[in-house]
Order: sequence, then structure tokens, then C-alpha cells
Amino acid sequence: MEDEVDSRGRSVSRRRLVQGGAVLGTASVAGCFGMFNDDDGNNTPQNANVSDFRGTGPLVEGNFRGSGRLASGRPYPGGTSINDLPDLSGDLALYIGGGEGGIYTNLINKLESIYPDFSVQPSSNDSASLAQTIVEEVDAGASQADVFWSIDASSLGYVADNDAYDPLSDEAVGAVANSQFVGDDNAWAGVAGRARAVPYNTNRLSESDVPNKVQEFPSTSALQGSMGWAPTYGAFKSFVTAMRLVRGEEATRQWLVDMREAGTERYGNEYAVSQNVANGSLAAGFANHYYALRVKNQRPNAPLELAFTEGDAGGLVNISGVMKVKGTDKGDLVDNFVRHLLSAEAQEFFATVSFSYPMIKGVKPVAGLPTVDKLSPPDIDLSELSNVQETIELMESANVSP
Amino acid sequence: MSGQEDLERMSGRSPDRSSTVDSGLTMLGAAIAAVLVLPIGWLAIDAAGLGWTAVELAIESRTTGVLVRSVALVSVVTAASIVLGVALALLTVQGDLPFSRFWTILCALPLAVPSYLGAFAFVSAFGPNGAFANVLAPFGVDSLPSVYGFAGAAFVLTLYTYPYVFLTTRASLLSLDGTLVEAGQTLNSGRWEALKRVTVPQILPGIAAGSLLVALYTLADFGTPNIMRVEVFTQFIYAQYNAFARDYAAVLSLQLLGVTAVILAIESRIGVDESGAYESGGNRGAVDLDLGAWRYPALLVPVAVFAVAILVPIGIFGMWLTQGGPGYEAGQVAFSWEYGWNSANLALLAAAASVVVALPIAMASARADSRLAALADRASYVGYATPGIVLAIALLSLSLDLLPTLADLTGVDAVGLFYKTIPMLVFAYVVRFMPQAIGSIRTSTLQVDRELVEAAQTLGRSRLSAFRSVTLPLILPGLAAGAALVFLTTMKELPATLMLRPLGFDTLVTYIWRVQEAGFYGQAAVPALLLVVVSGLSMAVILSQETGDS
Repeated sequence: MEDEVDSRGRSVSRRRLVQGGAVLGTASVAGCFGMFNDDDGNNTPQNANVSDFRGTGPLVEGNFRGSGRLASGRPYPGGTSINDLPDLSGDLALYIGGGEGGIYTNLINKLESIYPDFSVQPSSNDSASLAQTIVEEVDAGASQADVFWSIDASSLGYVADNDAYDPLSDEAVGAVANSQFVGDDNAWAGVAGRARAVPYNTNRLSESDVPNKVQEFPSTSALQGSMGWAPTYGAFKSFVTAMRLVRGEEATRQWLVDMREAGTERYGNEYAVSQNVANGSLAAGFANHYYALRVKNQRPNAPLELAFTEGDAGGLVNISGVMKVKGTDKGDLVDNFVRHLLSAEAQEFFATVSFSYPMIKGVKPVAGLPTVDKLSPPDIDLSELSNVQETIELMESANVSP
Repeated sequence: MSGQEDLERMSGRSPDRSSTVDSGLTMLGAAIAAVLVLPIGWLAIDAAGLGWTAVELAIESRTTGVLVRSVALVSVVTAASIVLGVALALLTVQGDLPFSRFWTILCALPLAVPSYLGAFAFVSAFGPNGAFANVLAPFGVDSLPSVYGFAGAAFVLTLYTYPYVFLTTRASLLSLDGTLVEAGQTLNSGRWEALKRVTVPQILPGIAAGSLLVALYTLADFGTPNIMRVEVFTQFIYAQYNAFARDYAAVLSLQLLGVTAVILAIESRIGVDESGAYESGGNRGAVDLDLGAWRYPALLVPVAVFAVAILVPIGIFGMWLTQGGPGYEAGQVAFSWEYGWNSANLALLAAAASVVVALPIAMASARADSRLAALADRASYVGYATPGIVLAIALLSLSLDLLPTLADLTGVDAVGLFYKTIPMLVFAYVVRFMPQAIGSIRTSTLQVDRELVEAAQTLGRSRLSAFRSVTLPLILPGLAAGAALVFLTTMKELPATLMLRPLGFDTLVTYIWRVQEAGFYGQAAVPALLLVVVSGLSMAVILSQETGDS
């Protein structure tokens, strides 16, 4: 095949891909994808050849899907394929949050290699810092970024509250299955989700030992002095904010005090919490769901399972999401970029590389996770998570320094 | 040079100095200092927006708690750095060590390691379930004392900042008039008595200069207290800023600057007679501490410092490299050698700009006796004590308030030309780090014999030409040492770089930040080593500028 770089050439090769994908799609349900699995584990996305992707190789296996155990044997992702979306073309200035944002860079690189006319100028920093910078820049009429990709809903909420966004098109946000993950006025669209969860050690606890209400944790005798948390971590603060919104200041303060007095141990981050649960030095902990999956992915036999609480802050589902910065002259490109992030392939990437919750119907979370509609998150507006200030004061007064 | 001349130069400057030059220099120095301090003034505007609430926030109990903790950390780290730095300086200069050059480099090297990387490596090594705990676990050691908290933070900060005291004390010791010490010893004072009564007073300003850098660094450092979980000003400011409470962050920043002012005032009391330490220039006869055979066991100190400060992080980096990441299915953040190039380029620009800016301030404060010159010198230190994130926030606000207006008035795209560009970044580095260059430039300026310059002028040279042919060659070592120090710290700077860098632009530290945030510790290893090696090279420049090494 001729390796043409003009848009026509690309559309030809991409159409072939669609055909390939369709054939695979019909034949794959019974787990035929195993044949594309590279058993020695070298089939990582960064090793994949771009030309494989564009013409001959299996789309998901070689490029957008993770390569380990948790990612294997999955059905072909449903939803809109990148092949069916308009080409991305032009330069996009992107403010991208740190943390998960580091992994997302890979996805952006993949998009750039599919579309030679598309390039992204990223600048990464803490999501909250970028959100405040965006608001200041928009106020001064000097905005630098076309699009903001935050790893946390609170920063999206902050930009939205300060009216520093332009709404995304209906078409762009249309693929998001759950309206909770789209901001009012289409201010932002969630692209990957993460649930608050309770990793527990199966040698020390059975599933029934873990209460399904977070307020019962301090008084559960099996958990006394054997829990871990990471109060400095942003996601933990969002969890406390959610609790404040659902149950009020006083109950939240009391819960923090009770947990602290029950001997809950502090860690620097939630990966450490999950590791220590797997080691057995903790019986259970509070962490984002994907940390336990990362531990499991490295140590498949670790006695580690996840429990989810119901209808309270312990079951909060937060998102990383994208918004259009006010005044950008590349609004259409941003919309199309968002559609790409919500494509079948990109969603498969989030699900299998960072073990996030997909936002579209056609893609399932990795094995072992309940689907997002089986979770019962608290009934709050995610944008309200931006009220972190009160949360910090509350945590300080409960002597659980944030 | 006779003792008589020495005395003259110590007690006062030659009376017939050309005051027009000095006052011109003073005005220039003051103007530069004002520009440098300007962004920080923007904090006051942010805080003023809060009105009365600002005062309430400032005296709240948790704020005062943070204040007390910060001051305590600064005091402990400074005191410990003085003990370690002065002891090692005495040992390497006067200890008559074999391969003294080697030991000097060993002792100075921790300065090349960013303290946040050191802290991170420490927690990985000695924290719960760290490498060290895992090594000891089979021997029945279940738990190690916690590395977190005040003591851990003080330990790590001391380890990576004491070289400031070490270097400035060495400089004083090397220019120490050995005949004075000998006289002290001859006069039956005994070795330690001579040290106390002759050496210490002479090197005190040197110690004070280094201590000032340590104290202000500690006050402004964010990474180490954050990793070691000590709630100090910077950590608190950062938490408030990330909780979208920028105005509260501004109030806290102003309080922090208040502490800075106090530290500067203390230092200027000690350092006020700085002529005494430096002026006798050149090493006249090595002074020997005469440690005898004790000098060999004494070497255990630098060995231990090196092992803990350098080998532990390198070991941890190596472990990251071989053990990989935190269990993602796949993916990494591609590294490009361009990041190293960007870091070095920025650091070179910052070093060059800092020297140019520091020169008039340092010369004015060394030559003119005016209060304005002294004030300009002191004021510039405020930037050094301003945490990178605070400076970056202030600089962003200032630019976004002024540049669009400027663009409207002039029709020039002021935003595009300056906002989030390399010049803006370099400006921030100059504000932050230039004060480090002032010290060494002022010192070398003080050593220039005024009569030489005047002689050149008498012989028909213009002022500029006299400066070029007489003064500049004499102060060049000071300039180089100052530039190297700025280079070194710019290489390590993270918060302001993260916030002010142009889009699509990354350096070694921003790359390290990105991969660590994403949990790919293994990928931080190579750039971290690269950073330490390049910074270490600039250390060689600093040490090679020392005069009359023993």
C-alpha cells in the first residue's frame, strides 16, 4: 500500500481498517482475540508500529488495548470507531492535569500518529493550578489553551463556575452514557471514570465483613486499627467533599474523628494503601478502584479484592474530563477531539491501560469490576466537588490534616 | 600588602572615591531590585482583596501553628547545617587531608541533588515497606522508626543544603590570614582557643552568608516538607492554592515574606562587617588544625554524608529502573534528550542574566556606603525566599493584569511576546536565584584594589575600559562562581517552571514530575541521574574558582 500522507490516502487506509474491524467484530465474541495476544507480553502499545494500525494490524490489540492479563479476552469494543469520525486536523493547545494525565499523553501520541495534520501542544501541571490559570487568562483576554483536560471533576467545576468555558457540542458529548458525567450546559464531558472503593485483604476479611455504608466503618470491629487512608491525596479530599455535601459538616467531621481514633493509618498515596492491603499489613483501606487493579496486575495472586459502598460518598464516581476554553477559535476541533476521546478505541484504552471506567455504553470495565450502572454513587453534582476549601478546614478541625 | 593597608581597607573605604559613579551604580542597583521585587508586590493586591478577612486569616490558630512550625524547621536546619558545614569546611581546608580536593567535591556534591528527589528517595528507602525495611524484614525487624515528620524533613533538608555553609565557610577559611592564627597560637592561646578567638570571628560573615542561603532555601522549599508530610508555609500555601483559595494563599505568602525579612535582618547584623572576612585576600600560609592521626577517622563524616546523600538516591533510582512501574498494563511517558538540552539552556540563560543583573547591585553595595545600596542588596534576597509557586502565581497575575493593557496602549502583542515564554521563565529564575550570585560577586569586588582602577583611569583609560581591563579580570572568578550557583539551582527548580513554561516545552524536572505523578518511577531514574551529573559539573566550576586551595 502506498504510504500517502494526504487526507485522501489516509481515509482509504482507514476505510480498510473499518472493514477489518467489522470482520473481526463479527467473529470475535467467542474470545477469538486470544490469537492476537502476544503471549510474551511484549505487545505494548508503545511498541506498535503506526503502519500496522493504519492498514494491516488489529486495531485494538496492537494499539489501544493494554497487553496484560486484565486486558485479554475482551470483546471488541462497541461505540463509534475512530474510523467513522471526521479527521482531526490542526494544532490544539492543551492544558492537561498531572497524574493520570501522564498516561493520557500516550493516547494523544497515538492520535497524532494517525493524523499527520494534527498536533497537540500540551502543558501539564496540577489540574487545580491549570483551572485557576485558565480562569485568570480568560479574564485577561489572554487565554493560551484551546482545551482543558482535567483529571478531576472539581477543577472542571471551578472553570465552569467562573464562566471560562464554551459549551461542547451535543454531538461531542452525545456518546457519554450517563448524564451525571456531562456538565450543565455541556460545560464538560467525562472521558474516564474512577470509583471510590474499599480494597480489602481476603485473608483477613471476607466480603461480608466490609460494611456497605461508609459511616459504619468506624464501628466495625473487624476494621479497628487495620485500615489505611491517604488524606493528602486529591481523590480522598473529593470523597470528603462528597460526604460533606451528602451528610453535612458535623457528621463528616465526626466520621473523620472516629476513623482517626479507630487507628486508621496514614499513607502518602492510595497506591501505597492498596499495596499494604495486598501485603496484609492492612486489612482494608480507602482508595480509588484502579490502584487495586494495578497491584493485581503486578501480583495476580495477591489476596486483594474490592468492595464498594452504596449510595454514599464511599461510592463516589469521579471523572477525568475535557472542556473547551472560552474564546478558542478552534471550537470545532475541540469537539472532534472530544469525540475521539469518547471513541470505542480511546475508551478501550482508558479501560485497559489505566483501568478506568469507560464513559460509553459499548465498552466495559476490565474483568472483576461492576459496570458503572451497578455502582450506586451518591446523588451529587460533580461540579460541586470544587468546594475543597471547606473540606480542608473541616479535615484540619478533625485533626486529619489534608 | 602591609597590615596597615589591611586595616585601612577594613575600617573604611578610600575617601576619594568617585561618588558620581557610585551613586549611578546605586540608582541602577536599586532600580533593578525594584523590578525584581515588583511581582511579589502583586501578592499584596491579591491579599488586599480579602479586606479584613486577611487579618483574621493571618492570626488564625492553624496559620500561627504553621508559622511556628516553619520557623522551627528553618532554625533546626540552619543550626544543623552550620555544625555540619563548618566542621567539614575546617576539615577539608585545615585538616591536612590526603586528596583534599576529592573530599571537598564529595562534601559539596549533595547541593547538586534536588532536595525533593532526595526526600523521595529517602521515603522509598526508609519508609514503611521501603527498600530498607524489605531488606531487614527477613531478620525479624518489623518496623523502622518513621522517616516522616519534622525530624525527617529537617534531616533531609540539612543533608542537601548544608553545602551552602560548607562552600561559603571554605571561601572564608581560604582567604583567612594564617599569620593571625599563628599569632594567636604563639600567644599561648592553644589550638582551640585560637580557633575560637581568631578563626571564628574572621569566618563568621562567611558562615552567616551560607546560613542565610540555607535558611531561605528551607523556608521556600515545597517538595521536601510535602513528601515528609510536615505542614509548613509552602505546603500550606500549595494546599490552599489547589483548593482554589488563591487569596488565602496570598495572605500566607505575605506572612512567609515577613519571616524572610526577619531572617535578613538577623543575617545583616552578623554579616555587616563582611569586609573583615574577605579582604585580606589570598592565602598566606596554610593553617593546620593539626589533627594528627585523628584526621583519618574524621574522614568517616564526609564518607557517611556522601553515602546517605548521594548513594542512597542513586541506589533507589537504580531500583526504580530495574523494577519498573506501578502495574499499569502498558504505556510510558516518552523521554526526549531535548529535555536535558532545554534544562541546560534555560539554566545557562538564567545564570548569564543573573550575573548581568547582580553586578550593579553587588558593586554598589560593595562600594557605596549608602543605605539605598544596602537596601537594594537586601531586597533582592526576598526573591530567593519566595517559594517558586508563590512567585509563579504572582508573576502570572502581574502579567495578565499588565500585558493586555500594554498591548492596548502600544498595539504590540505584549502577551504573545512575554507571557509564558522563555524570557518570562528566565525572569522568574533571576528573581528567585540571582541573590546567590550577589554574594560571591560582592566578595570579589571587595577584593579589587581601588587604586589599580584609579591608576588605569589616570593613565587615560575610560571608566568602561578600566572596568574591562582591570576590574573584570579580577572579579571573573566571583562572577563564574555566582553564575554556577544560579545554573545549579535553576536546573533543579520545579514549581515555577511547571507553571510558567511555554506550551509543549518540557525540561528534566518537569519530565521527572510528570512520570512520578503518573507513577512511572522507573522512568524518572535516567533524567534524575542526568540532572545530578550536569548539576555536579557546575559544582566543579564553583570549586575551581576557590583561591589558594590548600
